[in-house]
Amino acid sequence: MFRYIIRRLIQMIPLLIGVSILVFLLGHLAPGDPVRMLLGEEATAEDVARLNAVYGFDKPLPVQYFRWFSRAIRGDMGQSIRQSIPVSKLIFERLGATIELAVVSVFIAIMLGIPLGLFASTRRGTFWDYITMVVSLIGVSMPGFWLGLVLLSYVALNVSWMPMFGRDASIIGGLVTLFTKFRGDELVSALRYILLPSVALGTSMMAIIARLTRSSMLEVLSKDYIRTAQAKGLKKSVVVIKHALRNALMPVITMVGIQFGAMLGGAVVTETVFAWPGVGRLVINAITQRDFPLVQGGVLMMALIFTVVNLLVDVAYAFVNPRIRYE
Amino acid sequence: MVRKSSMLVAVALLVVMAFSAVAGASNDTLVIASGAEAVGLDPRLETDVPSFERINLINQALVQFATNMELEPALATEWTVSDDTMTLWFKLREGVKWHDGVPFTAEDVKYTYEWVLNPDNGALNMGLYADIEEIEVVNDHEVIFRLKNPNAFLMNNIARMPITPKHDGDRADFRQSPIGTGPYKFVSWTRDDRMILVANEEYWGGKPIIPNIVFRAIPENSTRLLAFEAGEVDIYQGGMVAQEIGRLEADPKYVVQRTPGTGYNYLGFNTKVGALSDVRVRQAVSHLINREGIVKNVLNGIGTPGIGPVSMSLPWFNENVVRYEYSIEKAQELLREAGYGPGEINLRLFTNENPDRMRIAEILQYECQRAGINVEVIIEEWGAYLARVQETDDFDIFILGWSGQLDPDRAMIRQFHTNGSNNYGKYSNERVDYLLDLGRTVPQESQESIDIYREAQEIVVREVPYGFINYTEEVGLHHPYIGNWEVHPYGAAAWQNAHLITKNK
Repeated sequence: MFRYIIRRLIQMIPLLIGVSILVFLLGHLAPGDPVRMLLGEEATAEDVARLNAVYGFDKPLPVQYFRWFSRAIRGDMGQSIRQSIPVSKLIFERLGATIELAVVSVFIAIMLGIPLGLFASTRRGTFWDYITMVVSLIGVSMPGFWLGLVLLSYVALNVSWMPMFGRDASIIGGLVTLFTKFRGDELVSALRYILLPSVALGTSMMAIIARLTRSSMLEVLSKDYIRTAQAKGLKKSVVVIKHALRNALMPVITMVGIQFGAMLGGAVVTETVFAWPGVGRLVINAITQRDFPLVQGGVLMMALIFTVVNLLVDVAYAFVNPRIRYE
Repeated sequence: MVRKSSMLVAVALLVVMAFSAVAGASNDTLVIASGAEAVGLDPRLETDVPSFERINLINQALVQFATNMELEPALATEWTVSDDTMTLWFKLREGVKWHDGVPFTAEDVKYTYEWVLNPDNGALNMGLYADIEEIEVVNDHEVIFRLKNPNAFLMNNIARMPITPKHDGDRADFRQSPIGTGPYKFVSWTRDDRMILVANEEYWGGKPIIPNIVFRAIPENSTRLLAFEAGEVDIYQGGMVAQEIGRLEADPKYVVQRTPGTGYNYLGFNTKVGALSDVRVRQAVSHLINREGIVKNVLNGIGTPGIGPVSMSLPWFNENVVRYEYSIEKAQELLREAGYGPGEINLRLFTNENPDRMRIAEILQYECQRAGINVEVIIEEWGAYLARVQETDDFDIFILGWSGQLDPDRAMIRQFHTNGSNNYGKYSNERVDYLLDLGRTVPQESQESIDIYREAQEIVVREVPYGFINYTEEVGLHHPYIGNWEVHPYGAAAWQNAHLITKNK
């Protein structure tokens, strides 16, 4: 297992280099350049030439890439062109908010999605099955943007303790004050602010999990060993939870892993609607502004997180399913 | 047992949540929302309105624009411009201190402008000050600007360049935590979330009434409005949800302030290629812009139909120019005169992914089709679009806007001078070139200046390098408990007098 993980980690290096070259090329080949974006409508030819020289964009592309690469390999991701702040600082100051939002959303999605799927699968073909599936279909189809605005205008506007936007304390920080200073206000405030964004972000994932759990459960429940278990006279709940669910969860874990990785890369729409200070907004703005060092750093960070989460998912398989062994 | 206690905790949490309502900030704090986060806080480096909304509270220029768009004293108490517009003299305010207690002097003025004019520093706006040859410090409170070329409108650019401290301006993180001379001092900044400012008790203009200001960056217009309605935001200017203005104006719980802005939106024509090189075809297309309809239905009444390049609130504005009323017949007549039959003209109209511009493009496409012109609408991503318009002539028509057109020079010389840096449609007229050059050499308060620019507007509107769509309008929104604030025609200056604002909630 240990060797497997090491091997996977080493494999990530060429992958990340590949990603960085790809991002670099795509950025530079797309029309529009950072200096023009800085200057906007008022750009003049002289200003463009002068600033290209200041930022080193007048050098050939391979030179620019290797200049960036040689610094990046030493951990220096460069500075944002637009804000003249180190890229790593910009990313790390937002990473906490993004991870927190992703974790809470996935938590909500799993906590509601799996029981819903289980509920529907054990009542196959009944009214309750149909209702659950229709609700989850709506959940999958609702655009996050729209759901966010609906939550704001119908829930937050009418519930006095529900904030409309932004983020206050972090949950981790809140837990720390709870246990060190025995004050819960910070934690409560953190939860209050994260509730609506995580519901908006987690709803479609919850719906997907519910549908996937249901179909996977239906497949497993028709297997021979389930019949054997039933024939042994085990309680229905034991058969469903212990024998069936554990096997049925494999595709769900895969899906959760992929979605979770994507969420850690930033949930741009949710972050925008709720003014949540996360990585997604940062990187999207960087792309529209052609802020190349920030785009490079941001995408590389996302690629890294994505591959690490994938690795974790593969490891999780081994725990859920003892038949899987990594050598 | 475990289950019971965790249930109890959950209930307790809920109770606490229910009672600790998200009350808006107290009277001690003014919460201002902004449509975007500031890029930075160094006036020498920033060019965007959200940055200057904040900067103008912390740092101040020599002069500033009042809400009637006239220049008023700020760090300079008196100034004169010589008759040849080549020498500017400023008397600086005495007794002003930087936020760290160091006195403000003429050296700070010299330092700021020399920094901007040094190409190595990469100041984006360097071009606006390129006419300055040297800055002479007469004494601590007197300074003279000598120019290379006449520039009667340099004063307006000076009003847009807040002074930075010589003793602190080279600090590596000045851009993230500046000091200034303004009514509020910088305290802290969490990017994409909030910026906190505190009153400068020793402000030369009087101690600010509200002790704290918090800027909140809320990118989504609907969320910003909802946060305002929920009382989490006290006030903001710009970025309105246009469809909601009617409802907000009718509701006594809110105060809506409106004033003509300093910008305009236009159709840019490629005057050198194809059918549009014929002035009659451009005039025909200008007759096809349903300005009233666009302002009413696309912009929801925010803005006024466009006439020419100079804002209606400026003294140079010429109302006696040709008006292109919306008329299919007139357009068809002009096309016939130019020798084009129905369906003989094919044009490509470009715009970016701005929803208003996309709707305007569709409306124009429809109107043109009715008059017998085929228009293909092509929508591009902002960066790609800007590159096309600025670097190529591979377009027939584009839709863009200008903001911050504070004088006729800024509104015309870059756009319509043959050598203008932003003359994307390659318009050229000798008389216009002559007038725009001449205008810079004449003091801006004179009647001569007004005559020069009125004539230039007349020619430009007649020859249609642009099809003017609408003038912009600035809208400010606040609760009735906020007092002593006036919406500013120039959004960047919205909060420059925030020290006078009152809050009695």
